[in-house]
Amino acid sequence: MRKWVHRCIDFFGYVSAAFVFGIFVVMLGAALLRTFQVPVGGSDDIVSWMTAAAAFFGLAHTFHHGDFVRMSLVIEKFEPVARRWVELAALTVGVLFTAYLTYSVAAYVYDSYVFGDVADGLIPLKKWIPQSSIVIGSLLLFIALLDEWINVAKGNRPDYVLAVEERHAKGDFSEDM
Amino acid sequence: MGVAEIGGILLIFMMLLLCGGVWIAMTLAITGWIGMVFFTAQPPAIWGKNLFYSMWESSASWELAALPLFIWMGEILFRTRLSEQMFSGLAPWLNRVPGRMMHTTILGCGIFGSVSGSSAATCATIAKVALPELKRRGYDEKLAIGSLATAGTLGILIPPSITMVVYAVAADASIIRIFLAGFLPGLLLMFLFSGYIAWWSIRNPDKVPTSGIDMTFRQKIYESRHLIPCTLLIVFIVAVLIAGWATATECAAYGVLGSLVIAWQSKMLSWQSFRDSLMSATRVSCMIMFILAGAAFLKLTMAFTGIPRELAEWVNAMNLHPYTLIAVLAVFYIILGTALDGISMIVLTAAVVLPMIQKAGFDLIWFGIFVILLVEIAEVTPPVGFNLFVLQNMTGKDSNVIARAAIPFFVMLVVCILLITVFPQIVTIVPDWIMGVQK
Repeated sequence: MRKWVHRCIDFFGYVSAAFVFGIFVVMLGAALLRTFQVPVGGSDDIVSWMTAAAAFFGLAHTFHHGDFVRMSLVIEKFEPVARRWVELAALTVGVLFTAYLTYSVAAYVYDSYVFGDVADGLIPLKKWIPQSSIVIGSLLLFIALLDEWINVAKGNRPDYVLAVEERHAKGDFSEDM
Repeated sequence: MGVAEIGGILLIFMMLLLCGGVWIAMTLAITGWIGMVFFTAQPPAIWGKNLFYSMWESSASWELAALPLFIWMGEILFRTRLSEQMFSGLAPWLNRVPGRMMHTTILGCGIFGSVSGSSAATCATIAKVALPELKRRGYDEKLAIGSLATAGTLGILIPPSITMVVYAVAADASIIRIFLAGFLPGLLLMFLFSGYIAWWSIRNPDKVPTSGIDMTFRQKIYESRHLIPCTLLIVFIVAVLIAGWATATECAAYGVLGSLVIAWQSKMLSWQSFRDSLMSATRVSCMIMFILAGAAFLKLTMAFTGIPRELAEWVNAMNLHPYTLIAVLAVFYIILGTALDGISMIVLTAAVVLPMIQKAGFDLIWFGIFVILLVEIAEVTPPVGFNLFVLQNMTGKDSNVIARAAIPFFVMLVVCILLITVFPQIVTIVPDWIMGVQK
């Protein structure tokens, strides 16, 4: 079960990366077409939607990979047993928040689906289509947090801590800002 | 309940979440939600709607598209042999300067900083090559470590810079304007760092090994040939920014294209490195964009509570001397920087500090550079300083030893902050000259 969840999370990580690549292609394409005087009005809208898609689809994967930043100064001082409870508390807060987030965004995107809202820009796309990225992304993040909550509750150390330790041990700091 | 009490309660609540290890982005959004539910007159029906709209509007942004691309550009070059080439290409030119090859740390970080926007990545990339080489040739290790730890932070001051993009988004300022503003302070800082190395080397001649390099001009050029593509890419990006040919996002797309060409031409572009660089860039962007989305919701709540406005008026009514206000803020950011990373620091404080700064008559672009210099200080101050961790990992020395080695360079950072405070033109002259004075 866990393996399947992780595969799903990683798959959407790749989807997110594909959108980053897509932004690159569309930006270059638009710049090129503009030099040949071809009007490319809608590219700005497409790029904004792709940016949102890149941001939301990859959330769960980024979390699982240990790249979400937090203040580790205090929690690192705790003994292993206490540390586990603190991690569990933080994960509980995260699970509750993402559940609320998923519910809220789903409710509003569903409304925009029912009313058939259309984007104001140059591309008359139904709003719910690009906006579905925030719903799927929040839901995946909720699942990833829940999965990690169960993992820590069972007595294991969280994956996101192990992933960072492993990376730093190899001397890889490319993902630390 | 007064605005001060509400602000205090929210602040304590946020500190609790932060100390409990709740991720920054969620902490921001949850604090925003608590504020909205308990301290504003917003009806329950639109709490969720506000959350949705602020997060969506923050992420579905054409301007923000520059962020993943700039990060990707650095990630591609990080996976090439650029750092090795940089060392061998720069060394022959530094023969006559006091301190000789020690300056490769500063110049290397400066050049890599112009293509990368991350301080830890710049520090790691340059240190990986420069540290063993300098040690082998008998240069002073302590000076090298101190210089690498601090010069690595040039990555976020010299454009393009991820931290600057984040600040520009948080402050609703122009990305290009703040990029342009970073050039002169970046050069000034490099000059100060190199100046210290030269001064140290003149005082300790016995600790600087003799060069052993004797090359003609042609040989030097030949040694530096690998640096030419990267230099061209930097010159191209700077030219595009200055001439206004492209927006920041387009500029980032050209940067990615250029880096891919450089990586391909130096035979370092494999499917593996392409995929790794893209995935890495995606994760870093996701992390930052989620923080920005959480902060957007907190900012909205803050606007409803009126805390930033009240605070700005309160500070304004105190009639502080501008330097006093700046000094207080500097201390505040340095304390914050001991526990938080730079991006979280900027995003966390933007909603409250920026209105105050504007009310006091400071230029938002100038303040951006000021904050970025403070973030640089934060990167090299224990207990949480990423460059310290990077070098600790590479040298096996304790992070406090590294922090002590960095003290002279830390002083140079402070000198740089003093200089831009007394002469704000250092920051504003380039953007004003190129883009016209901002109204």
